[in-house]
Amino acid sequence: MNPFDLTGPQFLVFYIGLSALALIAIVLTRKYAESSPPPKLDLSDPYLIAYLRGAEPETLRVAAVSLIDRGLLVATGTQLKTADKASPDSVRRPIEKELLHRFKRADEATAIFEDARLRATCKPLEQTLKNAGLLPNEQIHSSRMARLLIACAVIAGVGVVKVLVALSRGRTNIWFLVILMLVAIVIAIKISFPRITESGKAMIADLQNLYSGLKDRALFLQTGGATIEPMMLAAVFGVGALAGPSFAYTHALFPRATANQQTGSSSSCGSSCNSVSCGSSDGGGGCGGGGCGGGCGGCGG
Amino acid sequence: MNADRFGIGWRPRLAAGILSNLERLDIVEVIADDYFRADRQQRRALRTLAAQTRVTLHGVSLGMASAVPVETRRLDDMARLCDEVRPAFWSEHLAFVRGGGVEIGHLAAPPRCEATIGGALANLARAKQIVGIAPQVENVATLIDPPGSDRDEAAWISAIVRNSDSSLLLDLHNLHANALNFGFNASEFLTRIPTEKVATIHLAGGKWIGRNGAQRLLDDHLHDVPDPVYELLAEVAARAPQPLTVILERDGNFPSIEALLVQLDRAREAVARGRAHLIMNEIAA
Repeated sequence: MNPFDLTGPQFLVFYIGLSALALIAIVLTRKYAESSPPPKLDLSDPYLIAYLRGAEPETLRVAAVSLIDRGLLVATGTQLKTADKASPDSVRRPIEKELLHRFKRADEATAIFEDARLRATCKPLEQTLKNAGLLPNEQIHSSRMARLLIACAVIAGVGVVKVLVALSRGRTNIWFLVILMLVAIVIAIKISFPRITESGKAMIADLQNLYSGLKDRALFLQTGGATIEPMMLAAVFGVGALAGPSFAYTHALFPRATANQQTGSSSSCGSSCNSVSCGSSDGGGGCGGGGCGGGCGGCGG
Repeated sequence: MNADRFGIGWRPRLAAGILSNLERLDIVEVIADDYFRADRQQRRALRTLAAQTRVTLHGVSLGMASAVPVETRRLDDMARLCDEVRPAFWSEHLAFVRGGGVEIGHLAAPPRCEATIGGALANLARAKQIVGIAPQVENVATLIDPPGSDRDEAAWISAIVRNSDSSLLLDLHNLHANALNFGFNASEFLTRIPTEKVATIHLAGGKWIGRNGAQRLLDDHLHDVPDPVYELLAEVAARAPQPLTVILERDGNFPSIEALLVQLDRAREAVARGRAHLIMNEIAA
């Protein structure tokens, strides 16, 4: 049966189905093409992880909180100012140097998002993530574009042919089809170019999984730059995950970022036992991760 | 060229410390059982960890040293995980963890006799067949001398290691604890086992329990590695010329990662000391 011989409403149903299939194909082929084994990445760099998760804004937030935690930036209400004793030369990372330079005079914390020089310091992070295939590089972008063009060719081609057939048969009620065609193309463009690749999404999920124990201990992390843990927590879960009075200033500085943070905890069954040691119904012996508070007769293993 | 490796046991609590110090760690030991029933996301996270550093899988629930065959489904679980993670090696304890359908929740030392040697050898052969690689086998700590034994621990372990394809994962704190609890000399123990088959060393700490007269050193993995264990490590390094993997185990009461890395540095020094001794002996010979 020739679909172009379908009546108006019948063809619209057919066309909606065809467009949906084309859109699903875009998503599925992209997911498949952009999935790859986990790459090796510098997981000791909180800014790299923050950039992967939330681009420049998230990286700048984490960097600002890191400097505040180390006493190099001072937060007062919604404003930031470089501490009297701090100088850009006292830090190593370009993003930190630029932040200390930027806030020699007190200013609103949210001004960091508009500062081109600050954003430029994030470029090397972007390139690293592109090289790892976690953000779309040239090759991935080209593939996405090719998929989009094929999908649009199908959506627009079928639509245009039907319009021509309709017009040749003296029918002019084509506007609903044209609108559908445009909507489908707009959706196709929207879903074709997500900011991060499928591997990038998986990497974020993996990091959140690996660092789940850190999130459970958010209230008890050492502050003052004593350990990297608060920064890794902020990098992996967002600055809103920093809990307790020591990080209360983050709510004033970055209200939107902290408000979006989930307050729930994905506990891995307690603070000292890991998942299976506590939760497995299989039993099994020893500790090997749980510790069980030393009251289980030791580990022996 | 020395290929000794030094690493630490993966615990979620130590994640940030481990992942931000990978340049100081050659290997990370993951408890395999934590991932047998894990969902796809958790297993993918483990693969991501394995992409960052060398990983080894350590089992705690197979119950290798038992006259009862290890269940096939448990070995299948280990095989699947090894296929996914591609560890440097995998290991299990020379212990039993269940009997008569009861999970005892502990790595129990079996009677040291012919029957458990035979059972362990059969289990190790099956493990190798199903997983594809023979596991390294670890000596366990025990608070009681296993009843029904007709030989000591050194003789029992040697019989298993010599007659199987498995290398020995020598837990030096377990050895130290057993030596103190049952009054034998740990150094002499090292002369009686096939040290040429030692591939991996576990280091851990423990605490004394019980009252006067009935005190026992408990291997609880909650304390720092004691000095005598480093001395034993140097002795092993002096006796075993092959590359060794040294893993620090800590299950709770966590100090800072820096404190754990300092213990690993002490382990490096101990191995270097032992290696130097080994070279001197070779020169003298």
